[in-house]
Amino acid sequence: MNASTPGARRALATTSALAAAVLFALAGCASSPPMPTAQMAVAEAAVQHANTSGTSDNAAGELQVAVGKLASARDAMSAKDYGRARQLAEQVEVDAQAAELHAQAARSRKAAQETQDAARVLQEEINRKTVR
Amino acid sequence: MTPRTFTLTTLSLATAALMAACGSLPMPNGALDQARSRYDTAKNDPQVATLAPDELKRAGDSLRVAEQTWGSGGKPSEVDHLAYLASQRVTIAQDTAASKAAQAVTAGAGAERDRMRLALRTREADRAQAALAQSQQANAQKSSELAAADSQLAARSSEIDAAQAALNRSQQLNAQKTAELAAADAAAQNDKARIERRDARLGDLETQLKDLNAKKTERGMVVTLGDVLFDTGKAQLTADSTGNLGKLAAFFQRNPQRSASIEGYTDSIGSASANLDLSNRRAGAVKTALVGLGVPAERLSTQAHGEEMPAASNDTVAGRQMNRRVEIVFAPQADDVLTK
Repeated sequence: MNASTPGARRALATTSALAAAVLFALAGCASSPPMPTAQMAVAEAAVQHANTSGTSDNAAGELQVAVGKLASARDAMSAKDYGRARQLAEQVEVDAQAAELHAQAARSRKAAQETQDAARVLQEEINRKTVR
Repeated sequence: MTPRTFTLTTLSLATAALMAACGSLPMPNGALDQARSRYDTAKNDPQVATLAPDELKRAGDSLRVAEQTWGSGGKPSEVDHLAYLASQRVTIAQDTAASKAAQAVTAGAGAERDRMRLALRTREADRAQAALAQSQQANAQKSSELAAADSQLAARSSEIDAAQAALNRSQQLNAQKTAELAAADAAAQNDKARIERRDARLGDLETQLKDLNAKKTERGMVVTLGDVLFDTGKAQLTADSTGNLGKLAAFFQRNPQRSASIEGYTDSIGSASANLDLSNRRAGAVKTALVGLGVPAERLSTQAHGEEMPAASNDTVAGRQMNRRVEIVFAPQADDVLTK
């Protein structure tokens, strides 16, 4: 590298960047994307994992969104609209996770509230006993 | 111009040229802006940064991909899609952080509650300890009071025992006295009954003898049977004499312990020896008559006095008549009361 001139280094960098950009652009412009089989499997698994009574109780809307998008992704697969299917499958994954975590947060908040209430009741009881 | 800016300029120019080749230019993207804004908010939230660093990093990565795609002129639908993914990952990070915070609150409140419970139990235990000590003290006091009461009770008991013994002794004495008194009473009763019996007997005797014209003399009670019993010079009892002799016999039967002396007298007519004999026969005739009426012979003795001890003068008919007589003399007995 010490032997090479600054000009040569610049030329190499430029060439590399251009090559990458061209490749990226070509991929973006490709008219027929591959089948998102793996992504579909991930989406199915995510919905299955999230579809519990705990989630449907505390995040029914969010879960419904994920389920609906999964159906749409399947439709897109059937219609061989693989690009759309991939997008939907990717969204289904995060939507399912979001629903699950939303429900978990709700449950945790509820538990925290109950614990705090119990502590307050205990404190009141202690105060009463102390007064007595 | 530095080489670095040169390279970047070249790259962006090339990219722009290529984007233009695809027929679209990078336009401002609302979804991406919103995702970035949400990510910035989450990143500045210390709770999210602390409690969900992994999720936040994933959201950041996702956002970077979206921005690169946008920057390199990716399709708006793809940019929207990637922005949506980034935004959802921010949501996930926020919910994760909220969940963990709530769990920490739960754990903290649980610990606080345990601490309060412990304090309460400690205080209760202290209180129970104090109550126990107090009750032990009270017990000790009660015990000593009880012991004092016990000794008092023992003292009282022995006093009562002593009193009981004294009472028993005095009762025994009383019983003895009562028995003695009863015995004395009985003796008195006995005496009284005896006196009454004797009085009755005496009264009876006197009444009976009064019927026979008995007289009280130094020799005892004397019943005089007049000469009407006998014809002159005879020792034969007349029929009239049976009434008087019957009364005498009855008297002897009622008073079985009595004995009597039957004494004959005459007047002075005739010889003294003849009169003595006559008086003897007359006394014997009375005795025979009384024995015939059931009086035991051993209770009767006879004595002849003749013309001795005249009851009246022999100078008159009436005097001589009074001298012809038989006297039944009842010797005085020990229990006869001669005060009357």
